[in-house]
Amino acid sequence: MKRKSFLALLLCVVLMLGAVPFSAAAEGEVVTLRFMAYNPAQSRATYLEFLADQLPGIEIVFEYVSLDDDFNGILNAQLEAGAGPDIIELGGETKLLAAAGRLLDLSDQEFVAKYAQAGLTPYTWEGKVFGTPLQSWYEGIFYNKAIFAEHGISVPKSLDAFIQVHKDLEAAGVKPQTMGASSWEPMMKQSIGVANNEFYSDPANAGFDALFNTSEVSLAESWLPAVTAWAKVIEEGCLTTDMLGMSYEQAQAEFASGGAAMWESGPWAESDLFAANPDLDLGMFPIPGVSEGPGWLVGGPGSSLVINAKSEKIEAALQVLALTATPEAQIALTADWPGSSFLIGVNLDLGDVYADCAEAFAAGNVYAPWVAVWDFGNPVVEAYGKSLQEVLSGTKTVAEALADADRMNAIMIDEIKN
Amino acid sequence: MLLMALPAFIGFMTFFITPAVMSFGYSVTNWSVYRPEPSYVGLKNFQTLFSDAQALAAIEHSIRYALIMTVVQNTLAIFLAVLLNKKLMMANVLKTIFFLPAVLSILVVGYLFKFIMTSAPSGMLNSAIGAFGGAPVNWLGDPNLALYSVLATQVWQWTGWAMVIYIANLKSIDASLYEAARIDGAGPMQVFGRVTLPLLYPATSFNVLMSLIGGLKMFDAVYAMTRGGPGYASETIMTTMISTGFKAGRNAYACAFAVVFFVVVFTMSKAVTFVLNKWEAAIT
Amino acid sequence: MSKSVKNGLWSVLFAAIGAFMLIPIYYLVVNTFKTMEEATFRPLGLPLNPTFENYTTALQSMNFLRALTNNLTILVFAVLFLVLFSSMAAYAIVKGKTICSKVMYSIFLIGLIIPFQVTIIPLYRIAVGFGMMNTLPGVIIINVFCINLSLSIFLFRGFINTIPAEMEEAAAIDGCGVFKTFWVIIFPLLSPIIATVGILDALAVWNDFMTPLLFLQSPEKNVLLQEVHKNVGPFSTNWTVFLPMLVLSVLPMVIIFLILQKHIIEGVVAGAVKG
Repeated sequence: MKRKSFLALLLCVVLMLGAVPFSAAAEGEVVTLRFMAYNPAQSRATYLEFLADQLPGIEIVFEYVSLDDDFNGILNAQLEAGAGPDIIELGGETKLLAAAGRLLDLSDQEFVAKYAQAGLTPYTWEGKVFGTPLQSWYEGIFYNKAIFAEHGISVPKSLDAFIQVHKDLEAAGVKPQTMGASSWEPMMKQSIGVANNEFYSDPANAGFDALFNTSEVSLAESWLPAVTAWAKVIEEGCLTTDMLGMSYEQAQAEFASGGAAMWESGPWAESDLFAANPDLDLGMFPIPGVSEGPGWLVGGPGSSLVINAKSEKIEAALQVLALTATPEAQIALTADWPGSSFLIGVNLDLGDVYADCAEAFAAGNVYAPWVAVWDFGNPVVEAYGKSLQEVLSGTKTVAEALADADRMNAIMIDEIKN
Repeated sequence: MLLMALPAFIGFMTFFITPAVMSFGYSVTNWSVYRPEPSYVGLKNFQTLFSDAQALAAIEHSIRYALIMTVVQNTLAIFLAVLLNKKLMMANVLKTIFFLPAVLSILVVGYLFKFIMTSAPSGMLNSAIGAFGGAPVNWLGDPNLALYSVLATQVWQWTGWAMVIYIANLKSIDASLYEAARIDGAGPMQVFGRVTLPLLYPATSFNVLMSLIGGLKMFDAVYAMTRGGPGYASETIMTTMISTGFKAGRNAYACAFAVVFFVVVFTMSKAVTFVLNKWEAAIT
Repeated sequence: MSKSVKNGLWSVLFAAIGAFMLIPIYYLVVNTFKTMEEATFRPLGLPLNPTFENYTTALQSMNFLRALTNNLTILVFAVLFLVLFSSMAAYAIVKGKTICSKVMYSIFLIGLIIPFQVTIIPLYRIAVGFGMMNTLPGVIIINVFCINLSLSIFLFRGFINTIPAEMEEAAAIDGCGVFKTFWVIIFPLLSPIIATVGILDALAVWNDFMTPLLFLQSPEKNVLLQEVHKNVGPFSTNWTVFLPMLVLSVLPMVIIFLILQKHIIEGVVAGAVKG
């Protein structure tokens, strides 16, 4: 008797646990797709609306997790668990996840051929295409045109001029540059912008990144002059240690309100900046190199759309990718995120804010090695960026920071290949 | 009879013991997000871990954090408890105030102090220091300070919790013991050292162990306030384990971290228990 | 100095310390009623024109009701199961008096030594195997078995040990079985420790961030802390809307604390003394 009542209780508990799952029953013919992304829904609003209009049979649940909030961690864990999203916006991790067999091979899909090769290379692993480019991204130095004009300052064309701008503004009582350096990203990107100018602009170095993937060459040897040149912005006091106590967003707020004249970021920040200050007179110039020139932007194919190989809704997901490969979709994408398209035959106007970048764009001076070619881009630039924070706080040298990046590269090669 | 323990036991074995054992097992493999089929690699992960300056720094931070947390929090809590135990006006209100932060989630406290301690112009703490004519301090961005800034918020949050436990302990001390000490001519400090402190043994042993283990486990506050930065200055065992395991996808390496974490927690709590037992033997 | 003057001085000192302790909370609350501008320039002043707009925006942006429902669901079930399972287990351990029950107890105690975080990576795999990923029951199970079970059993055991055996002997004479004895005789006697365990567990479950962060992905299943976490970025340029989110995510527990503070503090103390 007592056992029975006990079992009954146990059964109740099991039933309760079983009854709680809140899994909604599938209704109608509508397929629900989980779309996980590391850029917020606001930066895709027009595109998402376009998808909803064109694909009435598909409902997209957009899940935004920022990179800073462990996007990769959450995604990896979900894929590991076989519980991943159907469509994923993916950047530097694409090759790693493709190598692990997590992503659907898209090579044979018709829509893939509509993109320029430059947009597909970063998402190609062992000859197979696993992602299609969403659009390009680029990052330069945003500046407050009104402040520049007020103090008679013109856009700097060389690193020395860039440093001089800081000094002039400082002398005029204006905070020159703000940076949310509590995130490891901005310094990493700014220094790579200088590496673009000093290292990648030389055709002799075109094969460097491929060799870096097998650890045959090292950043510590090749990038040292470029990053040392960049580090002058630290030595000259353009970047200061108090920036380490400031987040990306706090810096953005400071720049938007006119509290600082320059801030490094990209077009995705535009809507936030104007929301905070509709009167902001915004411009952007490329990251300059040692000698005078058009400068370089950090960027390239920004992120790609990939499909989870274990998704149960591959057909619907493919429909979304195919629709994205149309000029209409590309225009919708750039409505909230000014940039260029990798879809062959689509040319988009960048707009006023980026007029100072025109020369750099015309010269094709946009590059981000860790996204474009590196196999282990994300972990390597994170190690590099965190070490640059230590360079700023004075506890590490540039050479040591580069060595840290090399070491992470070696660890990851070992992790995946041995 | 034992049937009654079954639901708890089965659940515990399935969801705690099994993964714990698996953690130990995986730590000697090369399992990663990018290599779903692991194979045995011996102690390689541990070799990597112990030759990695950043991993070692994270372990060192956790230990330093836990030790300082334990000492500061308990000293403050005993001080507050002894004084609040006197018949003060508003003693109960104060008790509520001191305890209140413990009810808040660590994450929320972390975000709140991130606003207060930021070096951005909106940072309240620096504005306050400025109002008194001081120079701004880079609370979260100075590598020599970041870990202690996080620690300070946690002391703020948990001292009240320890304090109420000390107060309860104090209330159980027989007043006649104080009388006797006073008749012997002991001053207030001597009374505290000879009577109060030894009799606070039960609360102290509990609180010390709790703050030690809590300190070693620190994750939420660092996550909210510094993300382990600047650089690696405030990385702890937990933040490193979560970021290598979940972010970089190096599962087996993260499991090795878990094993080291276990060893650290185990050794340190044993060491502290040993000291506490010595103390107990000495006072009885 | 006379005793009362001395006491008065201590009181003043303590009032000062108490006020100092409250500054961060005061800062948090007072700025929720201000505009960005006012908060930047007068961070500690009382609001000139108190506005509730920040709260309206915050309530909406964090899907307050939906997240609160998730929180409460997790809390209620987790605490319920914890109290049931651990009181039963503790009773069996105390009264079992066999090798088996001793071994069982030592196994439960391992949970006090091994931090749950050690298990987390394999646990993820197991959670998938059981279909617990991205479900509230998954988070409930982890909160029950992985985080709070050991301490709860430990506390119940300490209390049950103090219950005189005569109580049950009488019941046995009346012909009650073990199970009935537990429910009819023992369980009602446990109410003080049930309150303690319930309170400690409720606090732990409510303030747990790591489990929902790792195990709940769909927005509609997110709990309050996840909503707060998600909104850090989007509202950073508009942080007077973010501060109310912090307030709202802790408010339910603070209200409960202010009402039940005596019991909560007693619970914390009982937990420590029994431990």
